[in-house]
Amino acid sequence: MSATGWPSTQSNVLFEHELGSCVTLSRVRDKTFDKLRETIAMEITVLIFLTSGLFLGWSLGANDAANVFGTAVASRMIQFTTAAIICTVCLILGAVISGAGAAHGLGALGKLNALPGAFMAAFSAALTVYWMTKAGLPVSTTQAIVGAIIGWNLFSGSITDTTALTKIFATWVACPILGAIFGALIYKAVVLILNRSRIHLLRLDGYTRLGLIIAGAFGSYSLGANNIGNVMGVFISSHPFSDFSIGDLFTISAIQQLFLLGAIAIGVGVFTYSKRVMMTVGDGILPLTPVGAWVVVIAHSIVLFLFSSIELEHFLVSSGLPTIPLIPVSSSQAVVGAVIGIGLLKGGKGIKWRVLGNIASGWITTPIIASVVCFVMLFILQNVFNQVVYHEVRYVLSGPVLEQLEKSGIAVAELEPVRDREIVGGTHFRDAILEIKPKLTGELEEKILDAAEIYRLRVDPGKIKEIEAGYLSDEQIRGVQALSGLTYDHTWQLYDALSGSSMEWKKREKNKLNKPFNKHLDEQLKYVYELLHLENSGAINQ
Amino acid sequence: MNLKVENLALFGKTKKIEIMIDSLMDCISNGAMKFESGFDIYLNGAEEGRCDDSVHQIRDLEVEGNRLRREIEGHLYTDMLIPDSRGDVLSLLEDTNYLLGLAEDIFLAITVEKPAIGDTFKGDFKLLASTAVKSVESTVLASRAFFRNITAVRDHLGKVSFHEEECDQIATRLKRNIFASDLKLENKLHLRYFVDKLDRLADEAEDVGDWLAIYTIKRSL
Repeated sequence: MSATGWPSTQSNVLFEHELGSCVTLSRVRDKTFDKLRETIAMEITVLIFLTSGLFLGWSLGANDAANVFGTAVASRMIQFTTAAIICTVCLILGAVISGAGAAHGLGALGKLNALPGAFMAAFSAALTVYWMTKAGLPVSTTQAIVGAIIGWNLFSGSITDTTALTKIFATWVACPILGAIFGALIYKAVVLILNRSRIHLLRLDGYTRLGLIIAGAFGSYSLGANNIGNVMGVFISSHPFSDFSIGDLFTISAIQQLFLLGAIAIGVGVFTYSKRVMMTVGDGILPLTPVGAWVVVIAHSIVLFLFSSIELEHFLVSSGLPTIPLIPVSSSQAVVGAVIGIGLLKGGKGIKWRVLGNIASGWITTPIIASVVCFVMLFILQNVFNQVVYHEVRYVLSGPVLEQLEKSGIAVAELEPVRDREIVGGTHFRDAILEIKPKLTGELEEKILDAAEIYRLRVDPGKIKEIEAGYLSDEQIRGVQALSGLTYDHTWQLYDALSGSSMEWKKREKNKLNKPFNKHLDEQLKYVYELLHLENSGAINQ
Repeated sequence: MNLKVENLALFGKTKKIEIMIDSLMDCISNGAMKFESGFDIYLNGAEEGRCDDSVHQIRDLEVEGNRLRREIEGHLYTDMLIPDSRGDVLSLLEDTNYLLGLAEDIFLAITVEKPAIGDTFKGDFKLLASTAVKSVESTVLASRAFFRNITAVRDHLGKVSFHEEECDQIATRLKRNIFASDLKLENKLHLRYFVDKLDRLADEAEDVGDWLAIYTIKRSL
């Protein structure tokens, strides 16, 4: 080292620089490794959680394929393998093509606010449906999921939407009755037509087979499109996939890949385990003729279409025709109802009431078992595996909330005692409200809960860029951009701001004619809320 | 590769089997008519060769009927058509085809054994054969209706029963007259044997009809 110190200094500087670089590098490396480790750990966790979705998909395929192909297979009109191939191909197409389009609406499981909780709810529902499938009983997968969500609600102290429960009860009764009425009416009409048309037995066989294949294919397509949201919807925000392109030919989006995976799981369920339920539906309750088999599939599709189609209601209203009341319908229950209808039309002697009793008890126990299993499993997952199974939801009746409630015609003076008190959990908040206002109607209660729920949002410019252009209109996106940088405590505040900035964000007057528009807008709003949500802003590991 | 146009067309194979079933029914119906006309020829005492021609014609029809039946059965099984009524259809086709075989057997026995039917009994024998053939024809009509017009089956089956009862009455009357006559016992027994054979044709037709009634109930939608 020289006396001037230069080299020394240099060397020191260099040394420090090198040391610093080393430290920095080492820190960077450590950070990168940490991040990588976290990412790998997260991806593994996500993959583990994804298995519950796949299990649910498998259970759904094993049980629900019977609704579309059960009667065809049991009446030996279509071989099981043929039915399974058609069903799988069509449901994969339905899930990937139409399911991904409706992915923003999510499934029922999308209500759950923590991935491990959603995993367990899906797993419990799948387990319940699996048990029922093992017993050869056709059950409603949606009801199993709703049951599991009720279990989650009970565990997390969230409020169970009483309308969901009422819907299940109503479906148990209304759906089989409607299925039976339509099954009997269509069967009678078909018999009359066939007796007059004098079609050769073999030709009729051909037509029926074709009819069963077409009806089954469409049924499978809609099965895939409607249920993939329940199977995979909850993983949309956390899946490990990325868009995949083959040259300029076509691109498979990440969501489509996710849904493809779910649809394959459903398909595996169809192939491996659905025959038993198919035989129960198509032969167990009442041996059906091929024409009867076709009538059952058609009757259940008509019931589903007439009593659950908002589009049909909109068409009838816009044509000035009377509307058909929309009621919750389940395809399993409609199919069983249609079989009973045909059986009763034939005098009811062939109906095996014991099998029917088993099926009905399966319907009742499905949501109950799912909720109990979910509750117990959540307890284990939280306390044994230390997983966050729910994020706490907080409620506050702040000044702006009370103002908002007053605007919607609620007397807020009585609510003053709980003003500005932040309450954790829906049930606690409801109890606090009920203490001061005991005679609260369900509608008012829902309004207060909706307005008071804290759901912190930040209109982050980075997040705005993630908005799918095709899903929101340009004007809607401009409306969101206008609010860039702003934060909100409640979803309704963002809605007020959005509807003030753009007419395309404004809900129309509440009537049957505007129902489809408002429903779509609600889905778009939900998408925006989820995108801009400041996650973990209240997450507490219980 | 089986790339025939009929197999490629929608319902092409179905149409082919439909035609085959109709052809089988035609064979049975034609065979029954041939049987009646052949028996007439025999009763009128025409030369031996003409009766043999009738035997050959009925036999050809029976062979053709058997071929069609086997082919239809093969198609129904290999293509897995009409799964719920396949068994019934196969039984029906076999049973109706059996009537043709029976008619051939009877006529062959007549030409071989040459029963001496006196003028006194010719009228009743002719009537017996004609009524038995009518019962067979009604069975064929009922079978055709089973495939195309299920509601008409019952009407045709009513006629089968009617003709069978007629046959029973004619046969009884004929046997009484035969045994009341001055013929030798061996002749009487020989004639009775043929009366029973002719009557059996109607009985078998009725049996087919009874099964057909059950198949119809099963097929009723």
